[in-house]
Amino acid sequence: MTVDQRTAPSEVTLIETVRPRVGLEASKSRVRRQVWLERGLAIGLPLAAIALWQLASDQAWIDSRLYPAPTTIVDEGWHLLVDGRLLGDIQASLYRILVGLAIGATCGLVVGTAMGVSRTLRAALEPTLNAIYVVPKIALLPVFLTILGLGEAPKLALVGVTVFFFVWVETMETMANVPEGFREAGRSFGVSQLGMLRHVLGPAALPQIFVGLRVAMSVAVMVNTAAEFIVGDDGIGYLIFNARALFAVDRMYVGIVVVALLGMLLTALIGAVGRWLTPWHQSSTRIR
Amino acid sequence: MIGSRHAPERVDAVGTVRLDKRGPEAAPWAVDAVGVGKTFRTTSRSVEALQSMDLRMREGEFVCIVGPSGCGKSTFLRIVAGLLPQTSGTLRLRTRSDAIVPIATVFQDYGIFPWKTVLSNVMFGLRVNGVARRESRERARHWLGRTGLSDFADSYPATLSGGMRQRVGIARALAVEPAVLLMDEPFAALDAQLREILQEELLAICEADRRTVIFVTHSLEEALVLGDRVCVMSARPGRLLAERVVPFERPRDRHLRESPQFGAMRAELWDLLRGEVEPQRAAHAVGGVRP
Repeated sequence: MTVDQRTAPSEVTLIETVRPRVGLEASKSRVRRQVWLERGLAIGLPLAAIALWQLASDQAWIDSRLYPAPTTIVDEGWHLLVDGRLLGDIQASLYRILVGLAIGATCGLVVGTAMGVSRTLRAALEPTLNAIYVVPKIALLPVFLTILGLGEAPKLALVGVTVFFFVWVETMETMANVPEGFREAGRSFGVSQLGMLRHVLGPAALPQIFVGLRVAMSVAVMVNTAAEFIVGDDGIGYLIFNARALFAVDRMYVGIVVVALLGMLLTALIGAVGRWLTPWHQSSTRIR
Repeated sequence: MIGSRHAPERVDAVGTVRLDKRGPEAAPWAVDAVGVGKTFRTTSRSVEALQSMDLRMREGEFVCIVGPSGCGKSTFLRIVAGLLPQTSGTLRLRTRSDAIVPIATVFQDYGIFPWKTVLSNVMFGLRVNGVARRESRERARHWLGRTGLSDFADSYPATLSGGMRQRVGIARALAVEPAVLLMDEPFAALDAQLREILQEELLAICEADRRTVIFVTHSLEEALVLGDRVCVMSARPGRLLAERVVPFERPRDRHLRESPQFGAMRAELWDLLRGEVEPQRAAHAVGGVRP
């Protein structure tokens, strides 16, 4: 037997570590402070940006003819609101967006459901629809103008087609991928085809359909505004583009702010309806 | 005494069959499977999941099927449930013509619908088969009460623990008063303590109503605690390897597990199964090691 001849370490001392304790009250207030900080940043940062913009404009650091001060924009907005022009334009845009959305979402739901349920239908239509999916929808406006003339129809068609694709793809994908276990559970109770759709596939897909609808809504606002740039004589898009032509920069900014608020409001509305219809679905629609 | 327990009227005829007095044909048969096999075929290859399964059950009998993973026991259950067609053999079932759902299944997971409340989940089988809303609700509430879920009627499954969720699955299956109840490893995902509690609850419910049950499990202990009979299946492709009648009297309680007879039966079944679970190693340990 050999004896291990290790040299004795000379300078080793024992270290005692005590982990600091954080009391329940302290940790609670820390969490609360973090929440307030996050809220403050979320609201404070854009407010600070606007204040800086105002300051820069007042101090003539930037050319206020090109970048009107926030107060000027609010003033102009108020004037447009009072003389009724703004409301008329909002109404015109809202009509196009909502009607287009209704048409597109309905078609998307029907086609998406049919293709989600039927493998054969999916095989037949999916490649074609996928190919059209990647075409920027605004590129179709000239086509719609040619076919449908210059009235409301081409704009409704454009919004409708845009919405259709978002709703279609989400509906089809989620319905086709509902876990087999849920279907089996349904079938084991002898549920009919329609019952399967109503009790199993539909609700399983609903949260994801609303994700699609929300994206569709924001893109619908976008394409509608773009379409109003090009055709017609009302709507927020027209207001913006017309103001630019007249070099009424203040009014142009009013249009931009209004269309941004409109988009925010409408997507929030879709989110709220989604949460109301999918009470079991806790978090995911709330994110983003 | 089973007769003294509360039991719905319709199962009384079945309830009179006592296990200890059971003759070979004491109760009419309910399930008759002869040589049932299943081969899955894709375009490139075919897999024999189940070779040949034989099972003849009387009404009111509780049969447990044990076997190694992938032996096709779940496949057999799906065939009985009518969710899969068999590719060989014959399967006959005898159920009442007035049954809403003759055969109901409790699944291991994905069984209950996250988008329905507990009450709606339990009502599901009734509603989709045309039972009126009011009656469905009453019957569902009865089963929520018997599975200890009354306080959770309006909760969504996501807010419940695993044990509670599986109780929902059981209540949903029982609410349709099935002639045959199929259970596919219903407690496999639960921890050991919860498992025992749910086994006891299931025992109490099934002993009160004398239901015909096929229960698939990995656990020999579970099979012996619950079953009137245990069927041991071979490794894939599965076939019936052995059958044992479980001699313990009903109603059974939790002390059953501690009896020497229980231990002996468990050991015997394990010896049967061991060679199937680990074929190579078992070959070396012939006549040897026992758990």
